[in-house]
Amino acid sequence: MKQRLYPELGESVWWSRLENGLTVAVVPRKGFSKKYAYLVTDYGSIHTEFSVDGKPFSAPAGVAHYLEHKMFDLPGRDVSEEFAALGANVNAFTSYDLTAYYFSCTERFGECLALLLEFVATPYFTEETVEKEQGIIGQEIDMTADAPDTRVFEMLMENMYRQHPIRVPILGSRDTIARITPQVLEACHSAFYRPDNMMLCVVGDVDPEQVEAMASGICAGKGTVTRRDGWQEDMTCGGGGCEEYMEVAMPMFQIGFKAEPLGKGPEAVKQEIVGDLAAEALFGESSELYLRLYEQGIIDSSFGGGLETVEGMAMLTLSGDSDHPDAVLEAVLEEAQRLSETGVEEEAFQRMKRSALGRRLRELDSFDSVCFRLCAYYFSGFDYFDFPEVYRQVNREDIQEFLKRVVTRQRCSLSVIYPKEETQ
Amino acid sequence: MVKTMSLFPGVTLRCVPDDRFKHGVLSLQLVRPMCREEAAKNALLPAVLLRGCRRTPDLRRITHRLDALYGASVGTLVRRVGDWQTTGLYCSFIEDHYAMDGEEVFAPMMALLGELLLEPVLENGAFSRDYVESEKKNLIATIASELNDKRAYAAGQLLKRMCAEDPFGLPRLGEQPQVEAITPQSLYSHYQTVLRESAIEIFYVGSRAPEQVAAQMETLLGDINRNYVNLEAQTAFRGGAEGDYTEVMDVNQGKLCVGYVTPITLRDEGFVAMQLLNVIFGGGMTSKLFVQIREKQSLCYAIGSGFYGSKGILSVSAGIDSGKRELVLEQIEKQLDACRRGDITSEELTAAKEALRSSLRSVHDSPGAIENYYASRALSGLPYTPDSYLQAVEAATAEQVAHAAQSLRRHTVYFLKGAEQ
Repeated sequence: MKQRLYPELGESVWWSRLENGLTVAVVPRKGFSKKYAYLVTDYGSIHTEFSVDGKPFSAPAGVAHYLEHKMFDLPGRDVSEEFAALGANVNAFTSYDLTAYYFSCTERFGECLALLLEFVATPYFTEETVEKEQGIIGQEIDMTADAPDTRVFEMLMENMYRQHPIRVPILGSRDTIARITPQVLEACHSAFYRPDNMMLCVVGDVDPEQVEAMASGICAGKGTVTRRDGWQEDMTCGGGGCEEYMEVAMPMFQIGFKAEPLGKGPEAVKQEIVGDLAAEALFGESSELYLRLYEQGIIDSSFGGGLETVEGMAMLTLSGDSDHPDAVLEAVLEEAQRLSETGVEEEAFQRMKRSALGRRLRELDSFDSVCFRLCAYYFSGFDYFDFPEVYRQVNREDIQEFLKRVVTRQRCSLSVIYPKEETQ
Repeated sequence: MVKTMSLFPGVTLRCVPDDRFKHGVLSLQLVRPMCREEAAKNALLPAVLLRGCRRTPDLRRITHRLDALYGASVGTLVRRVGDWQTTGLYCSFIEDHYAMDGEEVFAPMMALLGELLLEPVLENGAFSRDYVESEKKNLIATIASELNDKRAYAAGQLLKRMCAEDPFGLPRLGEQPQVEAITPQSLYSHYQTVLRESAIEIFYVGSRAPEQVAAQMETLLGDINRNYVNLEAQTAFRGGAEGDYTEVMDVNQGKLCVGYVTPITLRDEGFVAMQLLNVIFGGGMTSKLFVQIREKQSLCYAIGSGFYGSKGILSVSAGIDSGKRELVLEQIEKQLDACRRGDITSEELTAAKEALRSSLRSVHDSPGAIENYYASRALSGLPYTPDSYLQAVEAATAEQVAHAAQSLRRHTVYFLKGAEQ
């Protein structure tokens, strides 16, 4: 393994790319009891179309998440119970573009890591167990349908995007998951749970060589997998707004402005930071607009936003509770117009950069956040700990250009959930 | 580990010196009795203080000061600890030696904290009317928005009904009518009382020496006109009518909440056994509730239990098909009966012990978790040090866990009923 130092952050990382294709990163934390391990595959809910050795495959929506649930079954064994016996917590999540399995423990780290590597690499699906999961995920779908913050986002995506699969919820629907069989799960596991499509990240007081040796035991994948990517998405939003009525206390809104997909590598990360700083300049807590809307009572402390990116898409988004979502949108458009002309003051810009850097630095105390970011950015072709350098490369003209290009009426869409009328 | 210093009567500083982190935290809490008359005021107070101080009288310029301190944050802190409610501020900031341009962060941060706490913007001998009215509106919206998260809403409704005669039933942030009644004058006079009479709990985690922090705090708080009044001691659950409630709402998934009471609180002998019972019964992916009701019968996605140690209340919550209420309730009782009978495997007991040990050990790996654990422990009166707690966990037996289960009595059921599949 090779150690890389990041003196500005007081960090170091042991990096290795193994023969089986797996990338391993170990972040030492001397003097900490907790150990955290993240095994992530570059595969999420949007990757339903792919081919293996030229043979096309189209999976039902929700399959990545379904697969995540079923990975916890091993023949005659209960993975959660085995982690519990080791005093560890294990869990997993599926996002639009990746699936992560992780545990935290304080002792018996080697045994925990061996178990993580084993269960994620072992597909075991029977008709009976796959069938049984329908009820559980069906309840998860119902729960999500009652969660207004998720619904407001899903509606926005469906309204904004015509091609990109972010318009389909991560969980799929009761109809699509009914089509998931053990064969479907096996095909997806074999295509995407291969070491050359995955990364292992460990944070804690552990021996990097031991981690590397253990991870070398996973078998390399077979065949050539090609996934669909690069969705031809028009930058305009044809659909206008969308709304729904739910049991909420006051209207909840989310606004999106379509931005060009970022691609990969340091330039993409620079664009992401530009987008985040543009959001801060436009409607962050230090902005004129935020103060004005807050003092007028149009927004409250639930308000916030930034740049949201998923493979193949990016958007500037803001959300919150408000009795006047239209007024928020109009005010944002107007302020963006103004900033596109006047630009951001240099002093304010430097202060925002410093603040953003400081907040990212504070986050490095979270094991969870370190693992997640190292992995997610690695799949985007970037070493996350290089972020301070990227901040230095961003200048205020970049912000102005971004606002001018992205925050326009043509590119925006508004999603609102209104309280249900009293029915009694 | 924790260094505790009494700065003035009723003013306590607790420090956990630790130089492993990139950031430190400091909380300052004023401790109040939880009661209907005060809860809303205590919740509103820090929000109004954060709107501005004399030197920096608006939100935006406060954010500018924080941005210049590398994105340090200061937020409202309103906690419920048994019969008490705390009101105060919570600061989080990078350690000085990570400041890339070499400036100080901690000292200016404490100066800002002092100004926000002690130099509010006043108009005619009261708080600014604009600030108070706009934060009242925000607080009312926050209280109402609990409805948006149906699981939290249902859990709150259960407690409200169970604890009709116990302050534990009051929502942490108070209630809308009491918020509406607050005026700039009434809040300012409450603020003066609170500063004068309350116990003040300050908690610091970071690289600084405790003596240094103490000196800083003594300067900051030395001029407050104090007349410290002792709080009444924490009490166990005081009862209230038992009941079975159903509320109908137009939702896809029903939420079933069951509240059990026990005379065992965190101040009692059986506490550790009760915590073990909670883990075995409903505390995670290997609990009886999760394995039997979710994994084996596919009746739900989310199910689990939680134990409120300060009161002796154990609550179960499950998101289910509204047509399956009776079935799930019966299954929950069945799993609890199994615990009562002592139907607990040695694997379950060992894993539960390991879970408690591991969660305690993990506390020390994040400034936020350290603050939360020790500050809550100090207020709730948990009679264990980390070491004696670990010993108690080690010594607990399956019989004691079964005994803890036997002490639980079902008190109230609350069901948020939605559409049936």
